[in-house]
Amino acid sequence: MNTEQIDRKVKLPISEAFFISVRQIRIRFQRSKIMIASIGLGIAFMTHLNITNVIFNAYMADAGTTVEAYQFWLLIISVFVTCVGLINSTLIAVYERYTEIGTMKCLGALDHHILELFIIEAFLLGLYGGIIGFIIGTITATSSLIMQLGFDVLSKIPIIDMFKYLGLTTILSIILSVGSTIFPALRAAKLKPVEALRYHV
Amino acid sequence: MSDSIIECQNLSKHYHIGGEIIKALDNVNIKIKRGDYTSLVGPSGSGKTTLFNMIGGLDRPTEGIVYLDELEVSKLDAYELAWLRCHKLGYIFQTFNLIPVMTALENISLPMIFAGIPRKERRKKAIALLEKVDLGDRLHHRPTELSAGQQQRVALARALANDPSIILADEPTGNLDTQTGLKIIHLLRTLNKERGVTIIAATHDLKIIDVSDCVIWMRDGKIEKVERNFKAADKTEGP
Repeated sequence: MNTEQIDRKVKLPISEAFFISVRQIRIRFQRSKIMIASIGLGIAFMTHLNITNVIFNAYMADAGTTVEAYQFWLLIISVFVTCVGLINSTLIAVYERYTEIGTMKCLGALDHHILELFIIEAFLLGLYGGIIGFIIGTITATSSLIMQLGFDVLSKIPIIDMFKYLGLTTILSIILSVGSTIFPALRAAKLKPVEALRYHV
Repeated sequence: MSDSIIECQNLSKHYHIGGEIIKALDNVNIKIKRGDYTSLVGPSGSGKTTLFNMIGGLDRPTEGIVYLDELEVSKLDAYELAWLRCHKLGYIFQTFNLIPVMTALENISLPMIFAGIPRKERRKKAIALLEKVDLGDRLHHRPTELSAGQQQRVALARALANDPSIILADEPTGNLDTQTGLKIIHLLRTLNKERGVTIIAATHDLKIIDVSDCVIWMRDGKIEKVERNFKAADKTEGP
C-alpha cells in the first residue's frame, strides 16, 4: 500500500453528527438538565429585567413619561453569571468524555468531527435553555407587574416585539452556550488519541 | 506485497517524568507477519502498551520508524492517520471503551459512518457482525445493559466493522474472568483464521497465549525474545 491509495476522506455527515448529539443530550439527561438550567436561569433573569422594563415603559408611556434603562448593568451582570455557571458545566461535561473522544479518534474521527459534535450539542442546549429561560422570565416579569400595577399591564404587552426579544434572547443564549463549550472542546479535540485515552478525571 | 505487515526499526519512546528520562521503548526491532496472531507478552511497565500505541499510530515515537503495510506511519498527516485508523486498523481495549450513549448497533455503525458507508448497508453489516459474535439478540442494548464479556464482544465487532487488515488488542481480557477471557481469545483466533486479519494482542496472562502463531516477549522496553509455534502447555505441565 502507498500514500496515494489513501483517499483522505474520513466523513461525519452533519445529519449523523446531529443524531449523535441529540442522543448525547437525551441519554445524559441529568447532565443536560444542569446545562439547560444554568443557561435557562441566567436567561430568565435577563428576560425578567428586560420584559419588566419593556412593559413598564409601555405602561408609563400613557402617562407621558418613560424610565431610563437603569437595569443595564444588571443585565450585563446576569450575562456574566450565566457565563460562569455555564463554563463550569461545560468543562466538566468535556472532561467526562475524554475516553469517549479518544475512542472516537481511534475509530477514525478527526479533530473537527469531535468539535462539531460538541458544538451541535451546545447549540441545542443553548436553544432549549434560551427558550425555556425566556418563557420563565416573561412569566415572572408579567406576574410581578400584575401584582404591582394590576391586570391593566396585560394589555401593554407588545406581542410582536415579544417575538423579537425571544429571537434575540435565544441567539444570545446559543452564543453563550457555544462560546463556553468551544474552548474546552477544542482542547479535547486536539488531543492525541493516546492522551485522551490515558486521561482520567 | 511484503511478507510482514508491520515492521518496527530502531523504535524508541522516551518520556520525561520529573527530570528523569524513562525509556518506555528502547531500540525495538520487530517484524510481524501478515495474517499472524501475535501475542505481545510482558509484565506491566514493560512497554507493551507503548509499542501498541506506536504501531496503532496513536502516538509518535521519539526515534525510529514504524511501517504499517509498507506505509511509514510517522510521515502521515492527521487526515491520513485518521483514514488509516478508520480503514486499516481495529482497536480493542482493556476497558472496552464503547460509547456509553449508543446502543450496540450504533457503536458498531460508528466506524462505518466515518468510512462513509450508507445507512442501510451499515445497519445490515452491523447486524451481521453482532450475530457473528453471538449478540444478535442484543442489538438495541446500551453498554450499561450488557455484561463485561458482551461489551468486549461488541468492541470486537466494532473493531471488525471496516474490515481492517490489523486488529490491535491491548489487554483484551484484562477486565474479564478467565472463562469469558478465553472465549474472547478463541473468537479472536477464529476471526484471524476465517478472515486472515492480522491480530496483535498485548497481555500478561500466559493462559491466553496458546493460540498465537508468534509470541513476542518484552521486558524493560526491549524485546526479550520472539518465539514461533509457542505452546504454554509445554512449559507449565511437567512430566
